[in-house]
Amino acid sequence: MTYDYMYTAFAANGVPVKDLIFAVHTDMTLDGDFSDTYVAVCRKNLYILYGVERVVRVEDSRRLVAQYDTHDVVTYPLAELGELKTESLLSTCRLVSSHEGNEQLILLFTLGHQSFVDRLVKVVKNIIAGEEEPMFEIRLEEALFCPKCGHRFPEPERALCPRCADKMSIFFRLLTFFKYYKGKVAACTITMLFITIMQILGPYIGTRMFIDDVLTYDGRFYQMIGMVVLVIIGVRVLATLFQMAYQVVLARTMPWIIYDLQVRIFEAMQRLSVSFYTSKRTGSLMNKVSRDARNIYWFFVDGLPFIVLNLILFIGIFFVMFRLEWRLALICVTIVPFAGIMFYILMQLFQRYHHKMWVVSSQMNNMVSDSVNGQRVIKAFARENEEATRFSASNTRHADAWIGAANLGWTAFPLIYLFLFVGQVAVTAIGAMMVINDEISLGTFLAFLAYLGMLYGPLQFMATVSNWWARCVDAAQRVFEVLDAKAEVEEPKDPVKVDSLKGDIVVKDVWFQYEPALPILKGLSLEVKAGKSLGIVGKTGSGKSTLANLIARLYDPNEGKITIDGINIKRLPLQQLRANIGIVSQDIYLFIGSIADNIRYARPDASIEEVIWAAKMASAHDFITKLPDAYETRVGAGGQDLSGGEKQRISIARTIIQNPKILILDEATAAMDTETEGKIQNALNKLQADRTTISIAHRMSTLKDVDSLAVIRKGKIIETGTHEELMKKKGAYHKLYMIQLEGLKVISMD
Amino acid sequence: MDTFDLGILEIKEAEFYSDSGGFAGLKYKGEDHAHVILRRIMPLRHPFEYISVADHDNKEIGILKNVDDLPSSQREIVKNELDNRYYSPEVLDVVSVQDKLGYVYLELRLKNKKGVEYKKNCAIKDVSRNIRMLSDTSVIIFDVDGNRYIVEDVKRLSRQSLRKLDAYLF
Repeated sequence: MTYDYMYTAFAANGVPVKDLIFAVHTDMTLDGDFSDTYVAVCRKNLYILYGVERVVRVEDSRRLVAQYDTHDVVTYPLAELGELKTESLLSTCRLVSSHEGNEQLILLFTLGHQSFVDRLVKVVKNIIAGEEEPMFEIRLEEALFCPKCGHRFPEPERALCPRCADKMSIFFRLLTFFKYYKGKVAACTITMLFITIMQILGPYIGTRMFIDDVLTYDGRFYQMIGMVVLVIIGVRVLATLFQMAYQVVLARTMPWIIYDLQVRIFEAMQRLSVSFYTSKRTGSLMNKVSRDARNIYWFFVDGLPFIVLNLILFIGIFFVMFRLEWRLALICVTIVPFAGIMFYILMQLFQRYHHKMWVVSSQMNNMVSDSVNGQRVIKAFARENEEATRFSASNTRHADAWIGAANLGWTAFPLIYLFLFVGQVAVTAIGAMMVINDEISLGTFLAFLAYLGMLYGPLQFMATVSNWWARCVDAAQRVFEVLDAKAEVEEPKDPVKVDSLKGDIVVKDVWFQYEPALPILKGLSLEVKAGKSLGIVGKTGSGKSTLANLIARLYDPNEGKITIDGINIKRLPLQQLRANIGIVSQDIYLFIGSIADNIRYARPDASIEEVIWAAKMASAHDFITKLPDAYETRVGAGGQDLSGGEKQRISIARTIIQNPKILILDEATAAMDTETEGKIQNALNKLQADRTTISIAHRMSTLKDVDSLAVIRKGKIIETGTHEELMKKKGAYHKLYMIQLEGLKVISMD
Repeated sequence: MDTFDLGILEIKEAEFYSDSGGFAGLKYKGEDHAHVILRRIMPLRHPFEYISVADHDNKEIGILKNVDDLPSSQREIVKNELDNRYYSPEVLDVVSVQDKLGYVYLELRLKNKKGVEYKKNCAIKDVSRNIRMLSDTSVIIFDVDGNRYIVEDVKRLSRQSLRKLDAYLF
C-alpha cells in the first residue's frame, strides 16, 4: 500500500523516489511509539521514514487532503545491512539485520504488518543476490483490505468484507431459499391476499352498511336484515376457508425450506477445513446448526407470512379509512410514524440482547460439556463444589441476559401500547364531535373506529415480530458465516489426474503457522522414496504432527511445497490424495455405529471377509470376537467402552481397508503399555509393507525398523541418516537416544 | 519447594544493559549474556513481576521477581523491552462497533505505554474467544492479526463506550 504523499515525503527528505522498488507501511518507532512508518528500498539503500499522517484542509478550499509530517528519516546502505530477518515477539515483530556477527534492530511493528515486511525482506534479498527483477514471484496482496470501506478482511484468504454486507441483503438472501418453491409461495400469497380482503370487508359490511343502509330509514337495503346477515356470514366463511387453505400450503412449504437450510449448513461444515473447527468451539457449532436454523424457521413460519399479511392489511385499512373520512384518517397517519420509530429502536435493542443471550448460552453449553468430559479429573481432585460454583456463575450471566431482555419487553411494550391508546381516544373524541355536528354518519364513525382497532392490530403485531426479526437476522448472520466460509484447503482448479500414485514424497522449504507470527515449521525439507520408511523424531511441539497434517493437506503450507511423485499436492484432487494417505494417529475417533461400520468407514462396500481380514491384520480380531455382539458391537458416544489400545487397533484396521500408498503413523503407540504397543507395532509392521511410511514418534523403540531417520527441532530438520550413521555422528539423535536409553535403564533398575 | 531452586535472579549480581544494536543484554554473576529474551510468566495479571530471562539460545538464565527492584536505568531497559514485546495499547474509548456476519469491527481510541493517543480500526473474529474478561473489570481484545488491546478498567470507559462493548463482555 503506497500513497502519493508518502513519495512526496520521501522526496522532500532527499530520497531518490524514482529509484524505489518496493515500499511498505508499518506502525511503530523503535521506542515502541505509535507512528506511520514507511520503509522503502532501492538498489542501494533501505530508507525508513518516521512520521504521522494527518488529514488537513486545503487553504481557501473545503477540500481535504492527506499530509505526512516527517519526524525522522533513517538510511541504511544495503551493502552494510547484511542479512535481514523478521523476528516474532508476542504482539509485535522486529526486523533485525546481522552483519559480520553484529546484530542490529532495524524496525519494530505490530503483527498485522509482518507479511508486508517479510516481502520487503525478500526484495532486499533478491537485490543483494543481484536478481534482475527483484520483485519476481512476489505477489502484492492489496486484497487484504476492503476496497470499499478500507477495513481489514477478517479472513486473510477470503476477500469478503462482512462490514459492507447489510441486514436487508441478509434478509433478501434468506428469501432466495424460497426460489425452489415458487408455486407454493405464490399460492400462499394469493390466499393471504384474499384473507386480507375478507378482513377489510368485515367492518364495511358489518358496521357501516348495517347501520347506514339497513337500519337507516332511507338506506339502500332498509330492513333487509336477513340478506345482510347472510352476506356477513358468507364473508366470514370465505375468510375461514382461505385461512385454512393458506395454513395447509404453508405447512407443506416451510419445513422443506428449513430442511434445505439445515442440509446446506451441514454440507458447508463438511466442506470446511480443519482450521475452522479448531477455531470454533463445539458448543457454538452445535448451536449454529440447531438453534439458528430453528430461529430462522420460526421467523419464516410464524413471522414473515404474518408480516406480509399485516402489511397488506395495514395498507388496505388505511386506504378504506381515507375513503371513509380523510380528516380522521390524517390524525391516524400522524401517530403511525412515532409508533414506527419506537418499534425500530426496540428492534435494535432486542437484537443486542439476543446476541448476548446466544453467546452466553453457548458458553454455558461449553461449560457443561467441559464438565461432563472432565468428570474423572473433577472427582479425582474433589472439585465438584467448585465446578458447581463455576456453573452457577455462568448461569447467573445467562439469567442476567434473559432478565435484561425481559425487562425491556415488559417496560417498553406497555409504554408503546399506552401511546397508541391515547391516539385512539383522541380519534374517538374528534369523530364523536363530527357525528354530533352531522359531518359524518354514525355508521361511518363506528366503521372507522372498527378499522382503527384493526389498524393497531398489525402495529402491535410488528412489536412482537420485531423480536423474531432480530433473532432471525442474528441467526442468519451466523448461518451465512458458515455457508460463506471458504475452505482454506481448496480443490485444485486444474487438477492433475493420475491413475495411481507411487508414493515419492518431497517436502521442500515448507513454512507453516497456525497462529499469526508463530511459525511451527520454518523452512522444513525432507524426502522419502516410494516404498521406503522414514522415522521422524523430535521433542513435543517441534512440528512433527504439523508435518503429517500438511502432507495429508488438512492444512496448506504458508510457503514452500510438498510433492508426491513430483506433483504438487495442491494440484491433486483432494479425494485422490486422501484416499492414498492413511493416517494412524494418537487421537482415535470412532463414530457412532458398529465396529464393522467403523472398520469399513473408508470403503463402505468392503465385504465381511475383508473386514475380518483387516481386523486380523490389525491384531484386533481376537478382542472383537470376545465382545458380546462381536463385530456388531456399537461403539462411539454411548456405545461399548473400549480401551485405548483396542480403539487404536480398530483404527489401524480402518486404515488397512483403505489400502493407502502412503502411511503416516503419528505417535500411534504413544499412549499404550508395552504389551499393547508390541501388538500394535506388529500390526503396523504388516501394514507398512510396500508403502511409503512416515513414522512420527518420540519413543525411539518404535522406530527401530525404519529405513532412515530425521531429527526435527524448532520446525527444521537438523539431522538425517540411518540409525547407525546418526549414532556415529554423535549429534542430536545420539543425544536423544542416549537419554531414552538411560531412562529405560533406570526403569529396569526399579 | 524448599529444596527446589526456582532460579530467582539475585538483583545485586544482575545488570541489564542496552547494546549498540538496540538489544537488551544481562551481565549476571560474571557472565555477559547479549541479546536476552524477556518473557512475562504472568503476562496478564502480573506484567512486571516474575519475568523469565533467557539467553540468545532460549535457555533460561533466571527469573526476575520484580522489575521495580532494579535501579531506575535498568528498570527502563527491561520495561521497554517488555512493552515492545507485549505491545498492548490501552483502550480509552470505543468509538464504534459493528457486528457483521459474525465479525466485529471496532474503532478504538488507544493509548500506548508512552502515553501517545491514536485511533485504530480492527476486525475481530470469533468474539467469544477474542474479547475476554481478564478480571471483573479488565478486558483483553485480540484482533485478526493477533494484536492485543487492553481495557484496564471497564468502569473507566465512557457510558457510550461501555454500552457498545457490553454485548461482548462475558
